[in-house]
Amino acid sequence: MSLSQIETEPGGLDPTAVPVAPGPAMVGRSPGRLAWERLRKNRTAVVSGWVMLFFVLLGVAAPLVELLYGIGPYEQFQDKIANNSLPLGYLGGVSGEHWFGLEPRLGRDVFIRLVYGLRTSLLIATSAALLTTAMGIVLGIVAGYLGGWIDAVISWVIDFALALPFLIFALAVMPTVTARFYGPRDDIDVPFRIAVMILLFAMFGWTGTARLVRGQVVSLREREFVEAARASGAGLWHILFRQLLPNLWAPILITFSLAVPGYITGEAALSFLGIGIVDPTPDFGVMISKSLEFIDGDPMYLIFSGTVIFLLVLAFNLFGDGLRDALDPKSSR
Amino acid sequence: MRTRAALAAAGAVALVVALSACSENTNQESGVDTDRKASGVIATDPKDSLGPAPEVPGAVKGGTFTILRETKISHLDPQRIYNFVGLNTAPLYSRFLTTWKDDGKGHVTLVGDLAETPGVNVNNDCKVWEFKIKSGVKFEDGSPITSKEIAYGIARSFNPDLAGGPTYIQEWLADTAAFDTKWDFKANKTSLPPGLTTPDDKTIRFEFAKPHCDLPFAASLPSTAPLPPAKDTGVDLDGAPFASGPYKLTKNTAGVELVFEKNEHWDPATDPVRHQYPDKFVWQFGPDATAQTDRIIADGTDAATLGWNGVATSRVAKVSGDAGLKGRTLLEPTPSANRLTINTQRVTDLAVRQALNYAIDREGLIKSLGGDYVASPMTTLMPPSTLGFKSFDVYPAGKNGDIDKAKATLAGKTPELVLAISDDSGDQEIGTQLKNNLEKAGFKITVRTTPADSKLDDTKKKDNPWDLYLDSWAADWPSGAAILPVLFDGRSIKAEGNSNTSFINNDAINAEFDRVLALDPAKQADEWAKIDERIMKELAPAVPLYADVAFYIHGTKVGGLYIDSIFGYPAFTRAFVKQ
Amino acid sequence: MLRFLIKRMLLGTLTLFAVSLVAFGMFFMLPRDAVATMCEKNCNAERLERMRDELGLNDPLLDQYTGYVKGVFVGRDLGSAQGGWCDVPCLGYSYINNEEVSDIFARVIPVTLSIVIPAAILWLGLGIGLGMLSALKRGTVFDRLAIGFSLTGASMQLYFVGGILLIIFVYTLKILPPPRYVSLWESPLDWAAGLVLAWVALAFLFSAVYARLSRAQMLETLAEDYVRTARAKGLTKSKAYGRHALRAAITPIVTIAGLDVGGALGGTVITETTFGIQGLGRTAVEAVRLGDLSTIMATVLISAVFIVVANIVVDLLYAVIDPRVRLG
Repeated sequence: MSLSQIETEPGGLDPTAVPVAPGPAMVGRSPGRLAWERLRKNRTAVVSGWVMLFFVLLGVAAPLVELLYGIGPYEQFQDKIANNSLPLGYLGGVSGEHWFGLEPRLGRDVFIRLVYGLRTSLLIATSAALLTTAMGIVLGIVAGYLGGWIDAVISWVIDFALALPFLIFALAVMPTVTARFYGPRDDIDVPFRIAVMILLFAMFGWTGTARLVRGQVVSLREREFVEAARASGAGLWHILFRQLLPNLWAPILITFSLAVPGYITGEAALSFLGIGIVDPTPDFGVMISKSLEFIDGDPMYLIFSGTVIFLLVLAFNLFGDGLRDALDPKSSR
Repeated sequence: MRTRAALAAAGAVALVVALSACSENTNQESGVDTDRKASGVIATDPKDSLGPAPEVPGAVKGGTFTILRETKISHLDPQRIYNFVGLNTAPLYSRFLTTWKDDGKGHVTLVGDLAETPGVNVNNDCKVWEFKIKSGVKFEDGSPITSKEIAYGIARSFNPDLAGGPTYIQEWLADTAAFDTKWDFKANKTSLPPGLTTPDDKTIRFEFAKPHCDLPFAASLPSTAPLPPAKDTGVDLDGAPFASGPYKLTKNTAGVELVFEKNEHWDPATDPVRHQYPDKFVWQFGPDATAQTDRIIADGTDAATLGWNGVATSRVAKVSGDAGLKGRTLLEPTPSANRLTINTQRVTDLAVRQALNYAIDREGLIKSLGGDYVASPMTTLMPPSTLGFKSFDVYPAGKNGDIDKAKATLAGKTPELVLAISDDSGDQEIGTQLKNNLEKAGFKITVRTTPADSKLDDTKKKDNPWDLYLDSWAADWPSGAAILPVLFDGRSIKAEGNSNTSFINNDAINAEFDRVLALDPAKQADEWAKIDERIMKELAPAVPLYADVAFYIHGTKVGGLYIDSIFGYPAFTRAFVKQ
Repeated sequence: MLRFLIKRMLLGTLTLFAVSLVAFGMFFMLPRDAVATMCEKNCNAERLERMRDELGLNDPLLDQYTGYVKGVFVGRDLGSAQGGWCDVPCLGYSYINNEEVSDIFARVIPVTLSIVIPAAILWLGLGIGLGMLSALKRGTVFDRLAIGFSLTGASMQLYFVGGILLIIFVYTLKILPPPRYVSLWESPLDWAAGLVLAWVALAFLFSAVYARLSRAQMLETLAEDYVRTARAKGLTKSKAYGRHALRAAITPIVTIAGLDVGGALGGTVITETTFGIQGLGRTAVEAVRLGDLSTIMATVLISAVFIVVANIVVDLLYAVIDPRVRLG
């Protein structure tokens, strides 16, 4: 996908990085069962899986965390900000009360904003990954199986989507869409912004999965089991989604699991550039872009927000990597 | 193993960084002189307009003075210059009808530049003005500057292709805002606009339909720079202006570098303000404020350098905290005044507007802007740099606002207001700040973000849908006449393009404007301060917020640099390079 | 071969045409008004209208579009306010910057090339090198460390890595100057010193996928019969791996490399923003922010050209590297 323009590494989204689907089921234990056992034996995958789960829970339970922590994400503590706009005291205002210190200028609590930022980030990333994977599967199967002009058109659209500069496009779409949907006196709802971002990712992100699935389908469609189904008079729907799809689940699962961290990064990148989420909604990208301004006077702001998003993406990537190893033992070891 | 390697790497990085961050941040006095008193006169004695300018103590000749800026200067053609960088660069290579003698601390005198005096009010009704041109003033090719070339310069500012510059003189001559349709420059290149005449080589004469006592001020803007018709290259003049000042442009690499070298035909004896100390002035474009600040802190090859974009926000703490850099910084309040405009067409209840004034937390706002080195609080409509300025606060509420007083003024009302904020990332934090601040007093604030550029345009429309928005005004000369009537005279309200964004139209105030505008400019100053207070008390059309603060750093070899009192930016007329 | 090339070029042209339409439509959908930005202090409605007229913004949309396209291929007259005749390939006049877009490009494209090309060499070399080595040393500590390193890189945010690098090398150790662009021809040393952090940051992030991919490819080809045959026939290890295995393993890497480099050449917005360097990416972003029609069109088109060309080049390289691939 042309998200490489946001200078992030979209992990396994490149088709060639994902192994060919294993053939039809072998005798004995099912491949799913085998993969699960391999995954469980992979210590890195297990640990990162737990970390991932921890982050997800933290994000989901953000209001509960707020209740326990006693500080909300929008509360300002400007009396703890010096007249040079940086937090008073050491390490960007870290204290027993403010675990990760305060934001320069507005004086909001960094810790609770990061917890809420997790929420925004995970919501966008998982929705975008689900949507793009679904679109990619459908279009990929259709293009790969039917071939001919449909394939040609879909392939061209993929090329076209790849050639459009994503960032510039996103930068233009955001204000345009909000101006069309909201009256001049209305607050632009946060859920609406989030929805537009998800749609933007969907418009550009499906191409990777579609290419991958198309390639797999092309190699599968002449296989005996498909021909057998065709010969026995099975309908198109049955062949596409009953015969072909089950053979594609491994690469799709891997693509999906690696797409999530890709979109976490992508979302932060858009917000970093001021395109996506905007203040006062807590968000990693916004926080990091602000923190770069204070890198010299208050580096802890960058370090806290940067480290949290790094750990989050790392956990997802390590888990996705472990999943790939488990589903396709050939690729590693 | 993989996890451990990754975590170890991250940990090492964090440790290095954390170690570099272990110092306590405390409150420190910035030392911005927020109370400095501005004073100014229009020179009556022709001697004031004579050259040469007094020597700058310690100044030496020679060397190259370098100025760094992030982006190129949009216009070099004097008739098209209107932004601050252009306004302060133009005096290097251009001369004008009048100019300001300025001590950099708010004490200014308007003197004749090419003219012998800052203008003669022929009939004392401000409708007819005459300027006598000095002898011995020359262009860079040695040809003499006469009233003809000055008049041609003004005439070409009617050319719609050369838009961008100030339009005061054109509008006054044509007596309409649509001056370029009233007089078509392209069809009349050999004649002059209506009302502008050159009775002889030494005289230029302006005749206006209405009185314009501010002409001597308006004539200090670069649009009165002279140009021989034969040298008019149209839009290309932007890349190669024809010099009349102490320097001339010798190299112009578009968007990268400008080199100005000495103009040997400039005669210091004719010039009351400019010097010609360095051999060269070089502008380099590209590095952002942070890179500029870092290069200049490091000094070395950048010892004779100024960063035009000022001390970067990310470096303010460092620069202000380092005693070793104290002698290399310039810190002055500027005339750019920022206010929270209240759309009085929508917010018709005076009590609500007064409550906003009581509720405002200026200290918090300034912290969210970047602190004392970026802004200083203001409680008047005119900035402290205005001539005749008097400090007052009609709604005293302390540094952080008086929430109780605001609530009492509101008397139980909870007005729902929409605040329009541009989508620049910096402005959004200010929106958050104001929302949180005002909601404490019982207002319900909706922050509506709109694209940065169209916001400016849209808030100037009479029927704009918002209640509150941020506005700033930097007057073209430090007279209340260039501030209050422009911003608050209701008779000039039109469908769009308004400067009166509060849309107040009060007959008593309008009459006051007329009365004061007809006074001799020297007598106006005190009157403006009184009107300012009256507008705030009776109409409260805005919440005065803060004046921008200029904070600059330069290299160790830079001398003679000052922040000009008119625009609040570094000025180069006295600059030199220490040897 | 030739037929393939022609077919791809035609499709590429079609893509570019579609991209240009989208960019053009995008501009007119924008709720921004460049003219209002240009119209300074004493602006009024009439002046705004006249400026729009002069810039041709009031002409029918189709005329404006064909005018722009015509300019690219045969040049066009932009009118006296915009510098007169504009030569082929006329990319238009930026009314925000008061100069022809081709002049802006002459300034920013060398910057983007200076960031991307060395960075690409670094990330390809690092990624493929690590991947191949860990394939050969499969299961060793080196293998695991290499994969861990590359996954760490892939999980980092560019602006975070950039920020950390800046803190360490520029502000704390002070062994590098603040990032800036100096022409390579002017001073190769300053050029490298000013950009090296950008290269390292990009390479750190991008090399991950190459390491991962080249490792997998290498493992697969090492197991192929012909490599084993080559070894059995007595070819030395390095010859067998180098000549046969490497060649086959590199094919899919070229695909991604082409796309990545093509995409990056279209603008490295985040790198440029993080390091404060003005290249194609930031120019494009500013153009959209300010509604600068000509610059939007030109930057969108040029990044699309980079990607389309990169795609064609990749397909051609395929044929060169892997004789099994026949184009048609």
